[in-house]
Amino acid sequence: MSIRHLWAVVRKEIQHILRDRGTFILVLVTPTVVLLLMTYALAVDIEHVSIALLDYDQSPMSRQFIQRITAGDDLDLYTAAGSMEEIEDLLVKGKIKAALIIDPDFSADLLSMRGLALQVVIDGTEPETGGFAVDHIGWRAEIFANQILSSQLRASGLAVESLQPIDLRIRAWYNPSLVPQVDLVPGLLSVVLGFPAFSVALTLAREHEHRTMEQLLATPITRIELLLGKIIPYILAGLLNVLVIPFFAMAWFNVPFHGSFLVFLLLSVIFLFAELSMGMVIGVFMRSQSAALALSFLVVMFPGFFLTGIFFPIASLPELARMESLFLPGTQYAIITRGVFLTGIGLDVLWPYAIMLIFLGLVFTGTAALFFRKKLA
Amino acid sequence: MPSDVYIQTTELTRKFKEKTALDRVNLQIHQGELFGLVGPDGAGKTTLLRTLAGLIGISDGAVHVAGCDLLKNPESVKSQIGYMAQEFSLYSKLSVIENLQFFGELYNVPASIQRERIPGLLAFAQLTEFKNRRAAKLSGGMKKKLALACTLLHRPPTLLLDEPTTGVDPVSRREFWKILNDLHIQGTTIIVSTPYMDEADRCSRVALIYNGRVVQCDSPAAIRGQLGGEVLKIVTDNWQKARKVILPLPGVQEVQSYGEALHVLVDSASRRTKSIKKSLLEHKLSILEMRGITPRMEEAFISFIRKMDQDT
Repeated sequence: MSIRHLWAVVRKEIQHILRDRGTFILVLVTPTVVLLLMTYALAVDIEHVSIALLDYDQSPMSRQFIQRITAGDDLDLYTAAGSMEEIEDLLVKGKIKAALIIDPDFSADLLSMRGLALQVVIDGTEPETGGFAVDHIGWRAEIFANQILSSQLRASGLAVESLQPIDLRIRAWYNPSLVPQVDLVPGLLSVVLGFPAFSVALTLAREHEHRTMEQLLATPITRIELLLGKIIPYILAGLLNVLVIPFFAMAWFNVPFHGSFLVFLLLSVIFLFAELSMGMVIGVFMRSQSAALALSFLVVMFPGFFLTGIFFPIASLPELARMESLFLPGTQYAIITRGVFLTGIGLDVLWPYAIMLIFLGLVFTGTAALFFRKKLA
Repeated sequence: MPSDVYIQTTELTRKFKEKTALDRVNLQIHQGELFGLVGPDGAGKTTLLRTLAGLIGISDGAVHVAGCDLLKNPESVKSQIGYMAQEFSLYSKLSVIENLQFFGELYNVPASIQRERIPGLLAFAQLTEFKNRRAAKLSGGMKKKLALACTLLHRPPTLLLDEPTTGVDPVSRREFWKILNDLHIQGTTIIVSTPYMDEADRCSRVALIYNGRVVQCDSPAAIRGQLGGEVLKIVTDNWQKARKVILPLPGVQEVQSYGEALHVLVDSASRRTKSIKKSLLEHKLSILEMRGITPRMEEAFISFIRKMDQDT
């Protein structure tokens, strides 16, 4: 391999990145901007969900119960409805996301310790919000019922401290306040670093589209010099993002960084090599930039979102998708970034993921080199 | 293979899915020749040049360029040739000089030698004052000259040029051919395809390619000679009518129209001038000009193509 040839291609490609506005934005600006936007969009806590009430009981106890339900910021009382028809109307118009219906026997059942029957109607078109309302109503109802029942038991002469036999105390380590950004930013890093992979896919297709491939193939350059020369500048560009993003994460979203920055950089280089090689494989097969871009979305971006365990736990995926996720560089990198950022683990724990990334990088580069021919037809 | 045969194709065949782009092509090109490839669009000129440059594979037959067997090792030839693609294929985001340096590096020209040769090439391509201009902002003619300069930096013994003057204005075309002549004099073997017959006339030998086959290969003079007749240039007040009148006359082999003028291919100009003149006057056509002209490659070329079409 000739270092001169390699360097000539690397230099030319860097000049292209710096001079072509589209490439510059895609490689150097897009990852950071998309990461910031997505963190804002996805890390929003659900609050102030509007609910309606239909109180058939109309007793002091039911009014006390309603007050408890809507005491926090989580659920807002939109209105006290007079009928089921009114509730349906409000749901259809989207004024409320859930409705709580209190049975006529509510206070009688509670006082006679017959249990508690509550009906919650939710808007099934927004299951997330509906589920949230159900959880919070149930949680508050349980506390309320416990208090009433305890005082009833005490009044009847039974000495009870609490009705809860299990005292479960949950501690979330590494993200103690369970702030979603803290977990999202390191995870999303593996997604947004897919953009430089797009550029790698586009760069070979562009040579075909602009006919420069013909002139390039007529020179004594070898396949591996060309492919490496094409990937190295984008690894460097990706690294610039890797340097910038942690600072944004720490300053903007208060994401902790417990691990070693050097380990993070090293593993990021390995990840970029694997991820960008995937782009290279796409570039070898596609002769037009539009086709390369479409395939990049299918192969790099969508699986990056859905199969790397950032949003959906890998364990919950069907078996075939679980297999696929194993071969996505993003899966390994999401584990690495979360580990380095939040847990503060180092190479002693992360080395198997690094090995897997190197393996994937070599397989992808090998595939690209195997199928890239120094021929026009 | 004789020692001075520099490029040789033996029964060279290249098939694309359904089309046979090159059909049993046999060519022997000698060192130092300025060899022209002519033929209609789609005849196989580009495919032949790309094959010689090692850019596309061979379906059958053999190709040797500068002692390299392209079937065995297509890469070995690449440092021996300078190939210029038909369409502009340099980097538009790079400047003139950066393009030159890029290809200099890929052809392993040491930096000191690049520094020595680039000013000369820029002067020779008349690009010195545009050396820092992005290639995207060059005119068509300048782009072609830059592309040629990029293929010359490593001083290749062989040049393969695919329609280097297509889309170039006549002045730049002249300049371009002056450059090619200089290279020819210096001993470079040049193979150039062209759609222009006046350019074919400047070559030492010309191969006429038609439907993937070499149907003629000789010096321009010999090809013109094979026309087997003489050419009369006739200008009348109505060329369409005149054409119909002349075509069936005895001794007339072919009538080609060039604007208002008709070039009439006859077996003997002296024998046929009178009868043609008489027929034209009988049809009330006034003759503005009528004289014998030297046959050019153009007439020969069109005549060959017509004969080929009639035969098939």
